[in-house]
Amino acid sequence: MGRSLKKGPYVVERLLAKVEKVEMTGNRDPIKTWSRSCTIVPEFIGKNFAIHNGRNFVKLYVTEDMVGHKLGEFAPTRTFRSHGGKAGKGGGKK
Amino acid sequence: MPRILGVDIPNDKRTIISLRYIYGIGPFLAKQLCERAAVDPDKRARDLTEDELAKLAALLDNEYVVEGQLRRQLQQSIARLRDIGCYRGLRHRKGLPVRGQRTRTNARTRKGPRKTVAGKKGVKEMR
Repeated sequence: MGRSLKKGPYVVERLLAKVEKVEMTGNRDPIKTWSRSCTIVPEFIGKNFAIHNGRNFVKLYVTEDMVGHKLGEFAPTRTFRSHGGKAGKGGGKK
Repeated sequence: MPRILGVDIPNDKRTIISLRYIYGIGPFLAKQLCERAAVDPDKRARDLTEDELAKLAALLDNEYVVEGQLRRQLQQSIARLRDIGCYRGLRHRKGLPVRGQRTRTNARTRKGPRKTVAGKKGVKEMR
């Protein structure tokens, strides 16, 4: 379900402030953030982010296409360690 | 049989039904089209006059996205998701369900036919 337009996109204020600061200083370092639920707004384009995935920070360079998505969508929280191979352990019951 | 937009040949059903054989036209749009083109929705498709067919075709051509164009649009949106590497794109790449459904069981539409893993517990029961 979409979010009410009345509210506008959910953008973490602190992050926006940080983005502005980067804009001013021209700093190229990625912006570290835990705000996975923050929507990517046009101001973020061309900035580097480091998004927490629960363990590490995943680097992300924001492009125009990403606007409207959430930061968290680009930092997967799960690692898939392939099935099978030899000695495939018991695993899944039923 | 009447032809609309070159390829589609809806059959001898009522107009409102046969319009739905066009990719991208469902119950709602079929009704809307009939109204807008002033075509009797209950009239058999084969009885449509040249005029009515032309009207329908013109409407579809100018104001609706159907068939090839719609398919292309869909492909492009998926390609976009894949390219930007977001979660939904990753799911598309892997051929797994995109909208958070469970994958422990089911999800066969996306995953395709079962690939039984030998030696896995419970294989016998499932057969």
